[in-house]
Amino acid sequence: MTISRRQILGGAGLLAAAAALNGCAGFSGGGNNNGGDGDNTLSFTTWGSPAEEEGFRRGIDAFKAANSGVEVELNLVPYEQIFTNIDAQLQAGTAPDLFRVDYGTIGAYSSQDQLLDLSTYFDTAAGEEFLPSMWQAIQFEGKPFGVPHQTDTSAIVYRTDLFEQAGITSVPDSLDSAWTWDEFRAVAEQLRGSLPDELYPFVYNWQLGGSPRWLSWLFQADGRLFNEDLTASAIESDAGMKALAFTQGFFTDNLVPPSSSVKSSTYADDAFSAGTTAMAFVGNFVLPSLDADITDFKWGATYMPRDERGASDLGGNALVATKNARNPELAAEFLKFMTQPEQMSDFCARAMELPTLKSLVDTELDYQTRPDIAGIFVEQATTIEPSDVEQLTSPAMATINPTLRDQLEAAFTQGQPVEETLAKIAAAVDEAAG
Amino acid sequence: MSADTSSREGSTTELKAPLPATTYTARSGRAATRHRATLASYGFLGPNLILLGLFLFLPLGWALLISFQESSGFGATGWVGLENYQRLVGDPTFWQSTVNTAVFTLITVPLSLALGLGLAVLMNSVLPGRKLFRTLIYLPMVISGVATALMGVLLFDESTGIVNKLLRGGGLAGLPWQSEGTAAFISIILVTLWIRVGFNMVIYLAGLQGISPELYEAAKLEGATSWQQFRYLTVPLVGPSTFFLLIMDVIYSFQVFDTIFVMTAGGPGRSTSVLVTYAYENGFVTRDQSYAAAIGIVIFLITLIFTAIQWRGNRSRDTAG
Repeated sequence: MTISRRQILGGAGLLAAAAALNGCAGFSGGGNNNGGDGDNTLSFTTWGSPAEEEGFRRGIDAFKAANSGVEVELNLVPYEQIFTNIDAQLQAGTAPDLFRVDYGTIGAYSSQDQLLDLSTYFDTAAGEEFLPSMWQAIQFEGKPFGVPHQTDTSAIVYRTDLFEQAGITSVPDSLDSAWTWDEFRAVAEQLRGSLPDELYPFVYNWQLGGSPRWLSWLFQADGRLFNEDLTASAIESDAGMKALAFTQGFFTDNLVPPSSSVKSSTYADDAFSAGTTAMAFVGNFVLPSLDADITDFKWGATYMPRDERGASDLGGNALVATKNARNPELAAEFLKFMTQPEQMSDFCARAMELPTLKSLVDTELDYQTRPDIAGIFVEQATTIEPSDVEQLTSPAMATINPTLRDQLEAAFTQGQPVEETLAKIAAAVDEAAG
Repeated sequence: MSADTSSREGSTTELKAPLPATTYTARSGRAATRHRATLASYGFLGPNLILLGLFLFLPLGWALLISFQESSGFGATGWVGLENYQRLVGDPTFWQSTVNTAVFTLITVPLSLALGLGLAVLMNSVLPGRKLFRTLIYLPMVISGVATALMGVLLFDESTGIVNKLLRGGGLAGLPWQSEGTAAFISIILVTLWIRVGFNMVIYLAGLQGISPELYEAAKLEGATSWQQFRYLTVPLVGPSTFFLLIMDVIYSFQVFDTIFVMTAGGPGRSTSVLVTYAYENGFVTRDQSYAAAIGIVIFLITLIFTAIQWRGNRSRDTAG
């Protein structure tokens, strides 16, 4: 699932994204042919929030300390720009040795033979160190093409003042007591009744590449996007109808800002920090920026609603090496190093993200922002099932996402009927998976 | 004597001799000058031709090739002939984007011409502080298109934008700038006009300053009102500027991208999707670069045809100016 956000803070991302479109300005840096010391140099292109950037720099410094004479060139680009750049660089043969990619996009590269097959560097035992669902997320046709570096998921943050105003006195404090859809809807309606017209009960984080996060609703209703063997669509089901009708209702009943649909250019957490909504569905990676940006109200967090079951989105990112990396051994060595327990726990604690190593799952990480609510996200992540992961990381997702976005947009903002929307999504899934 | 004769003869010879030589030199000099002039002109043209060839004609030819191929997202994989173009014909989003582009052009071009001329007339008069105003109006043109579009977001964001805050502050309801197609389209047009009017104004100012003041004096003596002076003197006399701006503005409108990409990303739904944003989406989001190239070629052809028609219709006017 595409984890969007992180680097765009302050709109800088859009600026740079379009700078890349306006010309070739974005295609510089991080290339294989930009000098350097040849075989002992690795170029690594990534995006990152300030906290993630610091995490990467610390990891790189430790790697250099452990391998003398090795140089790692870190090239930080905005999230919106990175894959356009990487695609162009791969075509031009100037791609970096290593880059960061989300689990929903990795398939677009691994299935097109653009990434380094890590089978020879990571044996079965090395793979078993990772959570099975995460190790599965980086595979294509049974071979690993990256390492799961971190994961994240969404939960709800809410404003305590607006909740009090609306008379909502308790929020779920455990996964088992998470709101059902009906309870969630009742809370939203209660808020609608007490809020002035320009404020909204909540905002969902499906903007700017986040449209696959809609699938959390489908999974909660116990529906599937693909059939069992991932060869065709399975969204035209009762669960699909229920999930789409429920989410379409957010817009028709004025529960979310009308401008917060999947094509909006404003992130959900930005709307929340601007004080325009009482709740927001956000990924844990935005917690550091929420903590820094929100000064005029208090906020807490709770779990995603559940229907037939709980579910949330599979966020997070893998680190991959390109097929033509100058020094594949060194690149694989770096990937191994960055996913050592020590490096991973430091990175995750700093950036408020969740580890992918089995050995770290039950360890309390030293979270540096709002440790009081970090646990909610850690627990929420346990609602992601292997069957969800398998669908979310299918290489076909990269082709399906634009249609998913268009069709959800049509349903949310143009009143396109539920059946028609599902049929169109199903057609795209059939075409991409078949 | 003989010496004299010989000297005279010699001098005659000497006198005669230079004549054909002079003629010859003069002829060769003219040729050499022409040759040098040709060389010099190529010298001046060369860098431009190389740049144009490298960054315009080569990519254009390449795009044409790619549009006849199939794309895997990482380069073309095989020839498919006209398949991409056939797909275009049956693609409703392509047609909606074409209609949106046409509507956008039909609205923005006349408006930006009219506003540009109006402002130019104003700035050409004895308006106090006109230098400051000229700079302010031209400023959006100087700033990066993305930066101005981001300012557009600050102004028109539905929940946090300045315009809606002002409307709500004045007791009115905010407008659905992102959630309703027409309002979104209007916000794009407003920002486009804001960006473009400055350029039109400057071109018109230059045109206005070339008009002799005596013409206005004569018109006044004949009893022409200000409106008549504007309608029958100013408007026809800035004709060459209008012709130039019409072509520039139409091309600009057909190629609009950054404003829409940043402000609405083509939404809500497809209501602000234009040809270039649709081509981008196909090329870089769906990773179908061949289809995107086909859309690019269509944009190129439409622009080319329009410019050719304009050029034919206005050739005399261009030279008259």
